[in-house]
Amino acid sequence: MRKSFLLLLVLGVGLAGWGAAGVLHMYTALDVDEAKIYIEAFQAKYPDIKVEWVRLSAGEVLARLRAEAANPQASLWLGGPSDTFIVAKMEGLLAPYKESLGWQYLPGKFKDPDGYWVGIYTGFIAFASNRDYLAANGLEPPTSWSDLLRPEFCGKLSMAFPYTSGTGYTRLATLVFLLGEEEALALEKKIAGCIHHYTKAGSAPVTEVGLGEVAVGIAFSHDVIAKGISKGYPVVLSFPKEGTGYEVGAMALIAGGPEPELAKIFYDWMLSAEAQSLFKKWFRVPLNPEAELAEGLITADMVNLVDYDALWAAENRDRLVELWQVETGY
Amino acid sequence: MAKGRGVGETRPLFSFSRTGLGRLFQDPALLLVVCVVFALVGLFVIYPLARVFLASFVHRGTFSARYFLYFLEGRPYLVRPFVNSLTVGALVALLGTGVGFVFAYAVTRTDIPGKGVFRWIATFPIISPPFLLALSAVLLLGENGLITRWLFTRFGLRWSIYGLPGLVLTETLAYFPLAFLTLEGVLGGIDPALEESAMDLGASKLRTFFRVTLPLATPGLAASFLLLFIRSLEDFGNPVVLQGRFPVLTVQAYLAITGMYNLPLGATLAILLLVPTVAAFALLQFWVGRRSYVTVTGRPSSAGLRSTEPSVKWPLFGVVILLSGIILLFYGMVVYGAFTELWGVNHAFTLENFRYVFSTGATYLVNTLKLAGIATPVGGILGIVIAYLVTRKKFPGRRLLDFLSMLNFAVPGIIVGMGYVFAFNTPPLQITGTALIIVLVFIFQRMPVAIRDGVAMLQQIDPVIDDASADLGAGFFRTFRRVTLPLAAPALIAGMAYMFSACVTSISAVIMVVSAKWQLVTVALLHEVDNADLSQAAAYGVVIILVVLGVILLMDSLVRRVLGRGRHAR
Repeated sequence: MRKSFLLLLVLGVGLAGWGAAGVLHMYTALDVDEAKIYIEAFQAKYPDIKVEWVRLSAGEVLARLRAEAANPQASLWLGGPSDTFIVAKMEGLLAPYKESLGWQYLPGKFKDPDGYWVGIYTGFIAFASNRDYLAANGLEPPTSWSDLLRPEFCGKLSMAFPYTSGTGYTRLATLVFLLGEEEALALEKKIAGCIHHYTKAGSAPVTEVGLGEVAVGIAFSHDVIAKGISKGYPVVLSFPKEGTGYEVGAMALIAGGPEPELAKIFYDWMLSAEAQSLFKKWFRVPLNPEAELAEGLITADMVNLVDYDALWAAENRDRLVELWQVETGY
Repeated sequence: MAKGRGVGETRPLFSFSRTGLGRLFQDPALLLVVCVVFALVGLFVIYPLARVFLASFVHRGTFSARYFLYFLEGRPYLVRPFVNSLTVGALVALLGTGVGFVFAYAVTRTDIPGKGVFRWIATFPIISPPFLLALSAVLLLGENGLITRWLFTRFGLRWSIYGLPGLVLTETLAYFPLAFLTLEGVLGGIDPALEESAMDLGASKLRTFFRVTLPLATPGLAASFLLLFIRSLEDFGNPVVLQGRFPVLTVQAYLAITGMYNLPLGATLAILLLVPTVAAFALLQFWVGRRSYVTVTGRPSSAGLRSTEPSVKWPLFGVVILLSGIILLFYGMVVYGAFTELWGVNHAFTLENFRYVFSTGATYLVNTLKLAGIATPVGGILGIVIAYLVTRKKFPGRRLLDFLSMLNFAVPGIIVGMGYVFAFNTPPLQITGTALIIVLVFIFQRMPVAIRDGVAMLQQIDPVIDDASADLGAGFFRTFRRVTLPLAAPALIAGMAYMFSACVTSISAVIMVVSAKWQLVTVALLHEVDNADLSQAAAYGVVIILVVLGVILLMDSLVRRVLGRGRHAR
């Protein structure tokens, strides 16, 4: 009896000591399976730092930071389009970190001028189609935004809510840059009439397309390759020829986060060539020029991109989302 | 508990009778306990709700009923979810009551074989997480589900499970057990002699059924209709998976808060949800009082039943078999899915998903067990104390306490969770992101069930024993600890087993308060479904079911041992 008590005591002290070595709390908008790649590599390099993390869609991270503003629960935000980070910066939810060498080396268009967020990858909005469905119906994959409204696809579309998901909002803003606000919302309304369902997470449509739950989904191209094609799902990737939107995927320190020092270690590491070479496992385009690239990578020169103004997109986020809700009723 | 202390009664909530107050001051321990309980209920039940109301009227710091006006204006993103939720609720209430009635009738009024098995099957959905049914609905009937694919290749048939049909199907399966338990008690309580006399007087079987059995069961039918209506309206797990193009209130309220942190919008959707559920709850109280749905422990007697005519018996048997088969098929799918490599593409056998659950999901599982393990005894004891106070003690505000402590029975979980986020996000009570907030949500969301069980149990114990203890000079604590608790122990343990499994399987309230540090296993399951990683989600589901079954079996053997010891002592 006494022996087991002693053992428990030793175990308890041991656990407490282990906890004190440092726990970093992180929110990530990356896919669960993807986030694990980087976090596990980080922990292998820094065994003293334990990372506790939650996956949330980018809009949800923003909502969470707003909710926790008086009492932040996490120190680092990893992944998600920069527009959402810009909104967070404007609301005073992020902390600057200009001292990071990675931030200093990065070209200006990939980072916040005041150091509140830093880009780590880029991605392009793409269509994912189910190959079997296309074959069975003698169809080509969609290559235009208006293709989505074709009767063969209508009712079989899946994409993310623009308010929960960074991917979803990038899609909405892309259409605004491409068509102007009125026409973009009119198109979104028509798409809403053809939707199978909206998803909370931006990459969720890819698996749904792979499973045949829907025929066509909209997601970032790296998610289409990583979660669809490379996993063995019958998924085909295509882009709208009129032009598509892109994100600068970002990372930031959370203002008032409980572990700023540990967060900075992760931040610096994530910008290194070593970490960004891991992006090839998820077919992302790294921003560190020394990082290794994946084979079959889609890069910016391969697609027709719209002139995406992330700052405007950020400043108009709440307004556009409200308009979108009024138009679509979701 | 006294009969018929329904909302409709005219006795005032406060009765400052001299005896009541006098007794309270004679027993300072009782006074203390009453004050503490009122404080707890006020802080953790009423205050969060008040914050939700407040939030729906405040927009950017100023008073504004903006979203209510939008609702009246008919903006579809507010009106559609409202209409949709009510539609699903009414259909589920109707169908679920029907299915529950068939099961209850078969088990109590006929002599079909295998009643024990049917009874078990019909109660199983209560202890499993309700949203597992949504998961298996996708596995079976999704666009690429097993049945869908078979029907398509064979007959060229196509349908969509998303939206109204899927919600009605899964929620009916998830909640008909409540109708079954209610109606089993009611039907079991009908003396077969009544039916027999009707038939002896020359009434046909059919006429007897419609003129005797059905009218006698009407209060039970009404109760189960309202109960299912409430449960369907507050359901979150099934619609979040299956709502498709058919948005409902719970999910839209959740998205408004966690996706946008748009407090007035989320709170307005919450109020739109609260009005019909609380109305149904009030109606339930008014109509049938609390007794009729305290039937989880109902033990009908089947003695004296005439053997049923084969023309009734076997078709009924067939229907019950069919329904049981559907339930087993749904749960079986979850088990099957958990062992497949990549659902929809590669159905090869694998244990990989369980490895995943026990590595990535291990923390979530441990968190869930830990927090539910803390909440259960606290909530169980608190429930018993409140039950004891409202049934055995007289003090001013007793009826108010009774009503307030039961309030969360009718308040949808998503609103409870939302209220906690609003109420406990700023000092002095800043507990968002901690384990404490999850434990408190567990306790106060599940407490009504504990109180209900406690009340049912205390009714079995003669108050004379308490009085005897008091006469012998024991105070409140001593009587409660030495007399009431030991007598109540078996029921308390059973109640706690239920509460524990309810905590482990709950999602709607806790999804609002989980954090980076404290994530729970049900929320992790939902994330997998969200990501369409169905095999991994199924593996989580299997583990949750096993945990719940394990706990219930453990508690069961514990109850048996306690009972055995009690008999020994006598």
